[in-house]
Amino acid sequence: MAEQMSDDDERQQSPPSDLDFTSNKARTCIVTGSVSGHTEFQSLYPDQVLENVLENVLHFLTSRRDRNSASLVCKSWYRVEALTRSELFIGNCYAVSPARATARFTRVRALHLKGRPRFADFNLMPPDWGAHFNPWVLAFAKACPWLEKVYLKRMSVTDDDLATLAESFLGFKELVLVCCDGFGTSGLAIFVSKCRQLKVLDLIESEVSDDETDWISCFPEGESHLESLIFDCVECPINFEALERLVARSPSLKKLRLNRYVSIGQLYRLMVQAPQLTHLGTGSFSPSEVAGQGDQEPDYVTAFAACKSLVCLSGFREIIPDYLPAIYPICANLTSLNFSYANITAEQLKPIISNCHKLQVFWVLDSICDEGLQAVAATCKELRELRVFPVDAREDSDGPVSEVGFQAISEGCRKLQSILYFCQRMTNAAVIAMSRNCPDLVVFRLCIMGRHRPDHVTGEPMDDGFGAIVMNCKKLTRLAVSGLLTDKAFDYIGRYGKLVRTLSVAFAGDSDMALKYVLEGCPQLQKLEIRDSPFGDAALCSGLHHYYNMRFLWMSSCRLTHQGCQQIARAMPRLVVEVIRSADEEEVYDRVQTLYMYRSLEGPRNDAPKFVTIL
Amino acid sequence: MGSTSTKIKLRTSDQKVFEVEKAVAVHVIHVHSVSGDILSKILDYCKKHVNSAAGKEDISPEELYEWDANFVKVDQNTLFDLILAANCLKIESLLDLTCQTEIRTTFNIKNDYTIEAEEAVRRENKWAFDMLGV
Repeated sequence: MAEQMSDDDERQQSPPSDLDFTSNKARTCIVTGSVSGHTEFQSLYPDQVLENVLENVLHFLTSRRDRNSASLVCKSWYRVEALTRSELFIGNCYAVSPARATARFTRVRALHLKGRPRFADFNLMPPDWGAHFNPWVLAFAKACPWLEKVYLKRMSVTDDDLATLAESFLGFKELVLVCCDGFGTSGLAIFVSKCRQLKVLDLIESEVSDDETDWISCFPEGESHLESLIFDCVECPINFEALERLVARSPSLKKLRLNRYVSIGQLYRLMVQAPQLTHLGTGSFSPSEVAGQGDQEPDYVTAFAACKSLVCLSGFREIIPDYLPAIYPICANLTSLNFSYANITAEQLKPIISNCHKLQVFWVLDSICDEGLQAVAATCKELRELRVFPVDAREDSDGPVSEVGFQAISEGCRKLQSILYFCQRMTNAAVIAMSRNCPDLVVFRLCIMGRHRPDHVTGEPMDDGFGAIVMNCKKLTRLAVSGLLTDKAFDYIGRYGKLVRTLSVAFAGDSDMALKYVLEGCPQLQKLEIRDSPFGDAALCSGLHHYYNMRFLWMSSCRLTHQGCQQIARAMPRLVVEVIRSADEEEVYDRVQTLYMYRSLEGPRNDAPKFVTIL
Repeated sequence: MGSTSTKIKLRTSDQKVFEVEKAVAVHVIHVHSVSGDILSKILDYCKKHVNSAAGKEDISPEELYEWDANFVKVDQNTLFDLILAANCLKIESLLDLTCQTEIRTTFNIKNDYTIEAEEAVRRENKWAFDMLGV
């Protein structure tokens, strides 16, 4: 509508072609014909007033579903919703272009962007596949000056991108990088030196290259606004004196997670400076090699006792268990404890965990054995999330945790909502027990290591166990299956897993029917990742009715052929169908190594590397 | 298993029993809070949309759009009941239709979207910006 363009032309470029608001096929119009004329003005004015009022009201609308409804009421509501949207979530960076996003939402303050699919974490894809932050930061720098928070997951970020971020957004406040790569300490140095309003810098499970730049020293002098500094994944030494000075001048600092280059002695000095911390990552939790034998050990217990607000503890990257008693004073307050780097025994765990009555989140290594898990079950009645990681991830080793610890947890921790459990052996009975004892489960991820492992006691497939989970856990939205599974397990999932949004499958199923059951039975399915399972083209075709409702499908080392994938690509023009080879493989074989496909508004991307073919 | 000719039974708050094809009622349903009249209207909606999507009924997108527009031409109370029931039964398309209609009715707004434009916005909202559900 031409009169609206004159109001908006300084605010946005012309809208994308799908949304052609000058179409003459409008069914009802408030104003018809060309702009100009007294009657136009009279009917325009009340709308303009309404739009201003609406803008003020819609600022308060936070739910994404409500915003969806608001944008569909009429075109003027669409525009106002777009102007008042402050947080943007983009679940797949290739589903929409930066241009389209910035054209619609010009006043965005926070951007959440996800890139690579999760299975890329497990070396199932060559590096440099894509998900570059660069075009996004450039587009936002031009169009959205109010941007102050960026959350990226599995994206490639360069040092230049970090510089652009710091230079383009004057009030930039928060940067959170989860599972990202492509940058180094020199990029961090530029970033922190230029972001004078920085409150949050969280580097989580990201790969940071060591350019030997002392980035900690680059924080500006004077009082800092820092509330959160997380760098436990940074695998390079840091300038401790600079860090100590930084912590001393950051009165608002609440979250601090140190990397393994910080010794326990250094940790002590930081804790003394910052007793107000709520989240602490302890670094190595062992003495530096330099500390002499006769040195007076600091009073670690008192330092921990002084941190009365501490609720979340992690780190212990190179733990000397002798120092564990230092944390006794804060156990009773802890709601989250991450021991997933601490190779400790059940005996070492027990005195700690027996005091953790308020614990809701617990991540641990299987070195604590079933006995350690029994201790957790005995005390942690408020537990909501448990993750048990393997010390030894090899497939054929003897596992220290089993169905015994698993069942104990289910009996003791009835409020459990999320579990990730790695083990070498499991039984259907234990899984069925958990399905009955923990009805609040939303996330159930069981990883029986070793391929096609049956029920350890009966020798049966694990079908009934997973079947019970989907039947009894009525809130389940995320499921990862493992062990020996026949098509029957997938029949259960298709029939009962009506709320499942994310499903991960590895080395499972007998035939195409398994995948069919899931694609036909699970209407909420958004993300499906499959590896090493015997599913072929026929199974792939059975999902044609659903693929536009999904964020993505990943299938690697299955039985797909180029022809099969080509069929899908032809049938569904808005799906981007990527066939990914391993880096050294030539494009000769008919069998597809990896299929990654996703709906997109933009068509094939133009930054695909050589080992990716887009059908 | 996966067959669309399986029938299931629904019992409403006022003890009426409906038998419907499985494809029409995809979810596990708790209908004790929904009355017979409302459930009947909802089943009409679901049947219409499932049949049109499966090609069992020869109806163009424009005609379906018109049908939807007529479907929501009801009194305010019925519209509210439809919203609550659609929410309870998790029928997203009906929930969106009724909520938008409710907003338009309450604020006396004319829908100036074409079918194509509205479909394009829906697609963009869902595919790009995750704006349906969480």
